[in-house]
Amino acid sequence: MSRLTSTTQLKELRDILLHDSDAGKPSIVICAGTACHASGSKGVIRVAKRYLMERHLLDRISLRITGCHGFCEMGPFILAEPLDAFYTQVQLDDVPAIIEATLAGNVLEELLYKDPATGRRCLRRNDIPFFKHQQRHILGFSHSIDPIRINDYILNGGYLALGKVLDRAEPRWVIDQVKLSGLRGRGGAGFPTGAKWEMLAGEPGDHGKFVVCNADEGDPGAYMDRSVLEGNPQSVIEGMLIGAYATGATEGIVYARNEYPLAIKHLTIALRQAADLGLLGRNILGTDFSFDIKMARGAGAFVCGEETALIRSVEGRMGEPRQRPPFPVQRGIEGRPTVINNVETWANIPLILRIGADEFSRIGTKGSTGTKIFSLVGKIRNTGLVEVPMGMTIRRIVEDIGGGPVGRARIKAVQTGGPSGGCIPAGKFDLPIDYDSLAQAGSIMGSGGMIVMDEDTCMVDVAKYFMRFLKDESCGKCFTCRKGTQRMYELLDDISSGRGTPAHIDLLEELARTVKDTTMCGLGQTAANPVLSTLRYFRHEYLRHVVDKKCDALVCKQLVGAPCQATCPLGTEAWRYVALLEKGRFDEAYRVIRETNPFPSVCARVCDHRCESRCRLGTSGGQPLAIRALKRFVTDRAGTKAARPPRPAAARRNAPRVAVVGAGPAGLAAAHHLSMAGFPVTVFEAEAKPGGMLALAIPAYRLPREVLGREIEALLNENVTLKCGAALGRDFTVKGLMAEGFKAVFVSIGAHQSRRLDIPGEDAAGVLPSMTFLKAFNLQGQELARGRVGVVGGGNSAVDAARVALRQKGVESVTLLYRRTREEMPAFREEVEAALAEGVKLETLVAPQEVLSSKGQLAGVKLIRNRLDAADASGRARPVPVPGSEFDLPLDTLIVAISEHSDRQALSTAGLDHGRDGSLQVDGKTLLTCVPGVFAGGDVVTGPSTVVDAIAAGKRAAGAIARFLEGKDPAEQPSPNLPQVFVEPAAVAGGQAEEARRAIPPELAACERCSSLAEIEGTLPAEEAIREARRCLRCDLEFTQPKEAPEQPKVPAGAAAGETP
Amino acid sequence: MIDLTMNGLAVSVEDGSTLLEAAQFLGFPIPTLCHMEGLSPYGACRLCVVEIGEGPKSRLVTSCTYPAQEGLKVRTASARVLSARRMVIELHLASCPQSKVIQDLASALGVRQQRFKQEHEDCILCGRCVRMCKEQMAAGAIGFRARGERRSIGTPFDVKSDVCRLCGGCIYVCPACQLRCTYTEPEKAICGGCANLRPPCAGEEKFGQMMCYMDPCVACEIKKD
Repeated sequence: MSRLTSTTQLKELRDILLHDSDAGKPSIVICAGTACHASGSKGVIRVAKRYLMERHLLDRISLRITGCHGFCEMGPFILAEPLDAFYTQVQLDDVPAIIEATLAGNVLEELLYKDPATGRRCLRRNDIPFFKHQQRHILGFSHSIDPIRINDYILNGGYLALGKVLDRAEPRWVIDQVKLSGLRGRGGAGFPTGAKWEMLAGEPGDHGKFVVCNADEGDPGAYMDRSVLEGNPQSVIEGMLIGAYATGATEGIVYARNEYPLAIKHLTIALRQAADLGLLGRNILGTDFSFDIKMARGAGAFVCGEETALIRSVEGRMGEPRQRPPFPVQRGIEGRPTVINNVETWANIPLILRIGADEFSRIGTKGSTGTKIFSLVGKIRNTGLVEVPMGMTIRRIVEDIGGGPVGRARIKAVQTGGPSGGCIPAGKFDLPIDYDSLAQAGSIMGSGGMIVMDEDTCMVDVAKYFMRFLKDESCGKCFTCRKGTQRMYELLDDISSGRGTPAHIDLLEELARTVKDTTMCGLGQTAANPVLSTLRYFRHEYLRHVVDKKCDALVCKQLVGAPCQATCPLGTEAWRYVALLEKGRFDEAYRVIRETNPFPSVCARVCDHRCESRCRLGTSGGQPLAIRALKRFVTDRAGTKAARPPRPAAARRNAPRVAVVGAGPAGLAAAHHLSMAGFPVTVFEAEAKPGGMLALAIPAYRLPREVLGREIEALLNENVTLKCGAALGRDFTVKGLMAEGFKAVFVSIGAHQSRRLDIPGEDAAGVLPSMTFLKAFNLQGQELARGRVGVVGGGNSAVDAARVALRQKGVESVTLLYRRTREEMPAFREEVEAALAEGVKLETLVAPQEVLSSKGQLAGVKLIRNRLDAADASGRARPVPVPGSEFDLPLDTLIVAISEHSDRQALSTAGLDHGRDGSLQVDGKTLLTCVPGVFAGGDVVTGPSTVVDAIAAGKRAAGAIARFLEGKDPAEQPSPNLPQVFVEPAAVAGGQAEEARRAIPPELAACERCSSLAEIEGTLPAEEAIREARRCLRCDLEFTQPKEAPEQPKVPAGAAAGETP
Repeated sequence: MIDLTMNGLAVSVEDGSTLLEAAQFLGFPIPTLCHMEGLSPYGACRLCVVEIGEGPKSRLVTSCTYPAQEGLKVRTASARVLSARRMVIELHLASCPQSKVIQDLASALGVRQQRFKQEHEDCILCGRCVRMCKEQMAAGAIGFRARGERRSIGTPFDVKSDVCRLCGGCIYVCPACQLRCTYTEPEKAICGGCANLRPPCAGEEKFGQMMCYMDPCVACEIKKD
């Protein structure tokens, strides 16, 4: 390669290259960025190379090894040109087939990227949603450039901008162009680049000036600078050349961290090649412009990304920021004027001069022009590097490009700007990303890290993580930064391990503000951001940690213990009974369940088993333990023999009497626990039978009546008196109860009234509230449904009503009508599946508009189609009617199951406050209503909810009432519920637990069960149950395993005896 | 001369002076820990913060390192400054409660409690000793090592320094390090001056008769008790 001595020669070189290049020749492009290296692209390259050499295909197809393409989630991949077919996660065995297909001009469709949203294969790279929504001005070249070949860069228009600048020979014009483009520093603070250059140009340069490329990218989760240096180092060199020419700088330095070996390697090669071509050094391209670039390697201190610390580091001193002014542009490296810009800023310069400042400034927003590369990582489907125009909303990046959440957990926040940045909650996802709006929201652009967080991310833990990083990476000069970050970490650690108090949060906030205020450099001033922004948007999570001692994301170990136990509203030690089951100690297992739960057999059938939803077997990618099925096994196996529930202590002498209103799960649980504490309890029930919703709403095929009867029977004893047929408001009042001598009353009347649709024609005969329908069937055996049945709603009572209707004579068909999609249905998943298997039809995205009737008799319902709009505050997608999509559905019965509320009249007459939705207002801690001595819990407070929540409310109320009657503060003192009992773990060979599949209990076939009310689900066989129990990861052992005594030196028995007196 | 506004007063100060010097010249008290006349300003302790600028753009800077600039508006004792100083001294107190200097400053700032976990460090890394050693004693025997939590002061690689003349200047300027001056445990000493020089009092049973160049010598005080 000979030196180029003029810009004309540069153009000629390009022409020769263009002529020689065989455009249209098929080529195989393989990414060899660091991420793809990690996922095995080296192997792919090796196989491809060998295949091409062995078959002598090199003249028919070319192989190009490039830098990062950005879609790191899917590496290693092969891009086949000219068809632009994008093969993701390539297996070594598939490489020859891909090469042959490309040679033949074909596409191997089955290996192409599959869009998880549509399930379709994307034929071309730009059809992939991840790429489709990006604007890749900086990263766009990386797939056509081999980073270690300068010719590739020149071929793709590289150094044209430099040629243009040198031809024009007007440094001032370059600065004006950069100013006009509106380019702002990509390192995070967003200082206008043109203004910075102008200052440098204005400084006297008698002793030389420096331009520096800051490639000290140290934020956790950010790697866009690395990828630019790895994939297209020449663009950075060209940018620096132009910058040096414009500002009169004589020396250039790239400050790269030593942890980026590939970037350093590529940059070193690029520098040498540029120097060989005469693009660096003395008299560049024959002009009198001389400039050279050296590389300085940083040892990996985060603070050295700060410009004054960087300068000191380049000078060979300790990386420690200093006070500005004087600014580096006045006194920088060795006291000489210095401009420091980020890698991405430099890479933008050739682009600006190539396409023109006007054109550039049209990309992005007014205050923030151009594109920005973000590294999108965290709890998101498509992780990788994305380049988007400034001003794109976070939502579009997260949902369109990122592909939304991976699992079912909702995304709750995005952390931008690395440790110095902050969190932006999902409610603010419509925020356009630019320097100013991010700063307003309490975060920063930073270098462009974007960490997506979902509900399984604890914000306290996030703040703690960043604070741990910062306390290690603070340079330590400013006392408030060094000690402040340590102290913030200490406070966060206290909060996350259950030692926190509300005072901790106040102190943390005060300290964070001081740290922000009193530190000198950018690191210190932003060090408090992780704390301040999480406090700003997620203070409730902090309060939950310090007040309730709960970590809802189940991250903070000292507050969580075992996830199964932590998620159970009753705190059932699921791990413990599973462990006992595995040992065959079924009776003990039963007692463990019974200890916390007075309704083991009921919950073994109808619980929504939140324990399984967060089981670590499931959250780590496998199938969660079938905890409910195991509970069913234990209760069926041991229930009859070991069921002898602990008899309550006899009523204490002169113990105050308690009235419980409503014999549902909440009322009965409260009565049971109160009676155990020695209080005589009277339970009043409006219906003829106890059980509440368990008896009225839950159909017998899910909960056989004799099981329920047995369970209730076991709860009644000499301390509990049951009075059926006595309804609040009709037969007695709360005041009356107090007058009768009850010292406390627990109201748990449930939510038994169906909400109305509030549409015209609703009063036609044939329209039934779901509760009326279910009650009539479950209590009296009346079959009210006939003909074609429609059920409006998507909750459990809707599904129950639909399945009950299906079992009634005279019913032709049952259709569920729900306004959102099946994904959003609040009913239990398996219930919906079972209903569909039995033949219930499901019509989603529809809303009833009018009930059609003839002569007062229901004839059908007019429906309108919905579409889903962006998620509302609750995080669920909002259904929006599509105008003109109305249609009629002929029906003979319409069951309305959209929600239930409690008897407002009964509550009002009792003088109890209820909200507009009919729910009773209580104090969250004490469960006390506005009437002294009257407590409430269950569905009457929460609205329709699960059985286990009702039982938990009853249990909590019992505790509160007991404390109240003893004259103490009824509020519960929360404490973390950690595993305490050690059960020897089973001996399981390595990997065996993961390999085993989740046990599935036997079920009646769909055809058999439609016509009967027989229980559908059966019990696991003992062998299977034990095998399933063996899968348990035993999260409890971390807390319960006895600490092993330090190993004693092994001495012969005789000697030991001789030594010990 | 530079004209600026300090606490609402239009004042002019000499070129090249820092805000701290200006304030001290004008008689506005600003507490300091790491600052010392004769040593270059460093800005480590953050106690001397003052508020500059106006409105939403106002910010706190350390007056010891910030140069006086034309037209600058400075407040040396605004509410923001005082609350920041109180938190800073509280942090110092939490780390180094035994220092009389820190206790006095805390007391003067009205800090009566500290709410963090109590530590008993013998160094606040203010860097006075480092600067003393380098700038006044022209030795440069000690310096900062590591960063963040692990930052400390000492000789390179903790090897006894060849350039140290055991002058004890580092100890003389230390606002916090009484504990470091434990000549009886030389391995704890930074320079080991007191142990190695065998000050007149060392090894003697009776104190008080002899003059000691470290006055007051805490080691002696401790031994007395």
